[in-house]
Amino acid sequence: MKRVAYYKGCLASLSAKELDSATQALAPKVGLELVELESVTCCGAGDIHEAEPDYYLHLNARILAYAAAENVDILLTVCNVCTLNLRQANFMLTGDADLRARVNENLVSVGVPAYEKDVDVRHLLWEIAEGEGYELLKQSAHRGLKGIKIAPFYGCQILRPSKIQGFEDPDRPWSLERIIEACGGEAIDYPAKIKCCGFPIIQAREETALGELIQPIEQAYEAGADAIVTPCPLCHLSLDAWQSKLKKATGRDFNMPILHLSQLVGVAAGLEESELKFKRHVVSVDPVIEKLQI
Amino acid sequence: MQVGLKVWRFNSRTGERELQEYEIAAPEEATLLDCLDIVKDQHDGTLAYRKSCRMMICGSCGMRMDGAAVLACKTRMYDIAQAGHVPVISAMGNLPIVKDLVVDMEPFWEKFRSVDPFLQPGYEEPPDGKEYRIDQPRMNVIHKEALCINCGCCVSECNSMEADPNFLGPQALAKAMRFVGDPRDGNKIARLEKLNGEHGIWECTRCYMCTERCPKGVDPRDAIAKLGAESMYEGIDRDMGAKHANWFVVSAKTTGWLRETELVPKTQGIISAIKQTRFALDLARKGKVPPPFPPHVAKNVKESRRLYELTTQQGPKGYMGIVQGEHALSRLAHGHTGEETLAEIYERPGAFKRPFIAGEELEAPVFLEKPPER
Repeated sequence: MKRVAYYKGCLASLSAKELDSATQALAPKVGLELVELESVTCCGAGDIHEAEPDYYLHLNARILAYAAAENVDILLTVCNVCTLNLRQANFMLTGDADLRARVNENLVSVGVPAYEKDVDVRHLLWEIAEGEGYELLKQSAHRGLKGIKIAPFYGCQILRPSKIQGFEDPDRPWSLERIIEACGGEAIDYPAKIKCCGFPIIQAREETALGELIQPIEQAYEAGADAIVTPCPLCHLSLDAWQSKLKKATGRDFNMPILHLSQLVGVAAGLEESELKFKRHVVSVDPVIEKLQI
Repeated sequence: MQVGLKVWRFNSRTGERELQEYEIAAPEEATLLDCLDIVKDQHDGTLAYRKSCRMMICGSCGMRMDGAAVLACKTRMYDIAQAGHVPVISAMGNLPIVKDLVVDMEPFWEKFRSVDPFLQPGYEEPPDGKEYRIDQPRMNVIHKEALCINCGCCVSECNSMEADPNFLGPQALAKAMRFVGDPRDGNKIARLEKLNGEHGIWECTRCYMCTERCPKGVDPRDAIAKLGAESMYEGIDRDMGAKHANWFVVSAKTTGWLRETELVPKTQGIISAIKQTRFALDLARKGKVPPPFPPHVAKNVKESRRLYELTTQQGPKGYMGIVQGEHALSRLAHGHTGEETLAEIYERPGAFKRPFIAGEELEAPVFLEKPPER
C-alpha cells in the first residue's frame, strides 16, 4: 500500500459526494492508502489566484504543509482545478527559497506547520494510468466494462499548461484511454476530448459556456458513446447538470451519462451502488448499468 | 529526407475544399515552412500561404499542423518524417480562410486596435528632465507580454472565441496587459474599465490553449489573470466574473470550503437566481445543492482567516501578486524541475519528442582560420 495524503477539494466534499465515496472505496484496490486531510480549505479554484493572488499562495501552501506533516511523498487530488492550483503553488514555493521563507513565516505565525519537506501533487488519474497503480487496476477490474463505449473527456487543466502538469502530451493524451481499455471498455476518439467544458464561466457567461459544453457531448454522442468519463468534478458538474440547459438552448436532448473516473474504474472493479452513488447524477446512468447487466 | 504532407486546400470564391497530398525531398534540417517552399517551387505553384522572415520574428506563417496551431518556420520536420507520419496542414482556426493556408487577419487586427496598443500620455515627467527610467522588477511584469509577434496562434485555438467570436481573445488581452502593466502609461484605469466589458477578461474560460500554443512564451492566460487581479485591486469588480472570484475569497476565509449554494445569487444577483429556481430544484433533488445551513466548516478555519488578514496587509497586490511566482515558474519547461539534464527529460516515459537539432550527427563544422583569399 502506498500511503498518500488525500485532498478531496470542495466539490467532492459537497455536491459531488459520489466522487469522494467512489474514490475512498476504490483506493485500496489500486494500492493507495488515503490519509484524509482535515484542516484544509478550498484551493481557490483559480478564482482566488485572480482576486487575491498572495492569499491564494498562502492557502495552497497551508494545504501542502498539512500534507507534508503527514510524512507522505504524494498529495493525491481528484480534481483538475485543484491539481493545477496546488501544483502551481508548489512550483512557486519549491523554486523560490525567499518566497517560501516569507510564506512559511506567515504560516507559522498563525499556527500552521511550516512547509518544509516537499510533497508532489498528483491526480488519481496519473497514479492509476501507469506503474504499480495500473497493474493493480488491471487485476481488480475483473467485472469489466465489456461492450461499453466510453468517451474519455480530459478537460483542460489536467493537460495544460503542460509545463506545470507535464504528465502526458497535452495534444495526444493517452491515460484515460489506457484505463478504459484496461477495464475492458472501448475508448471512443473525438477531437473535443481535450477542450473546455465551459465550467469556469458557466455563471458569468452562460451562453459562451454552453457553446463550449455542447462540443464534447455532441461529438461523443455522434461517435456512439454510451457514456463520457472525466477526471474532473467541475467538468462532471457542467456535463451532467447543465445538459438540461443545453436542451433548452438548442432543442437537442443527448441524455449522455457522465461518469467520474473513480466511478468508471469502480464499476469495473465491482463496487456497490452505495459506494458509487449513481443516484446523485442528474442524467441517469441506468442505460449503462443495464447494458452491463449488473 | 522524404517528407509527406497533406494540405487542406480551399478556394473561398468557389467554396471548394480538397485534402491534397504532397511527397517531397527536403534537407534534414528543413522546417515545415521550408517544405511548403519546396512544394510551391517544385510541385505546385498554386499553393497559398503567408511567410516573411523565416526566423520566428514576423509572425506571418501561423497555421495548423494536425489540428494544433504552429509557426511553420519553427516546426522541424525531421522527427515527423522519420516516424513516417504524414501531418495534416490546415489554416488557423477562428479566422475566415481566404485561400488554402491564408486567413483573413482583419478580425484579429480589429480587436488588436480596440485595446489602443500604444502608450498613452499622462505619467509624471522625471524631475531631472531626462528619460523615464524603469527598474528591472517593474519591467518584468510585462516581459512576457512584450514578446508577442501577433501571429494569431493563440486566437486560432481559443475555446471561448469558438463559442463567441466577439470575445476580445488572448492576443488583444495580452497586448492590453503589456500597456496596463507599463508604469509609463497614463490611462490604466480607463483601460481596465474597458477590458471589464461584456466581451473582455471575464469571458476567458481558462482552457490554457493560448498559453500552450504560443510559440513565443507570451502566456496570454497569465496576462488575463494579471488584468483580473489588477482590476479587482483597483476596485473594478462589478462584472459577474469578478463577483464569482470574490465569493471564493469570502468562502475561504469564513468556512474554508466553497459556499456553493450561495455562489449563484452572489455572482448573478438574487433576481437571476430566482429565475433559475426550477433548474436549482432539479439539481437539489440529486443532492447537488448542499444546504447552506449548517455550513460545512473546515477544521481550524481561523488560520485561513488570519492568513487572509496577513496577506491583505503585507502581500503584493494586483498583478504584482501574480508576478511574484514567475521567478520560480519560468524555470519550468514541460515538467522540468532543474535536476534532470535535457537528454534525461526526453528519455522519460511519455516524454515530448526530442526536437531535431540541426547539425547533430553530421560532421563537425569546419572553421576557417582566416578569410578566404579573393
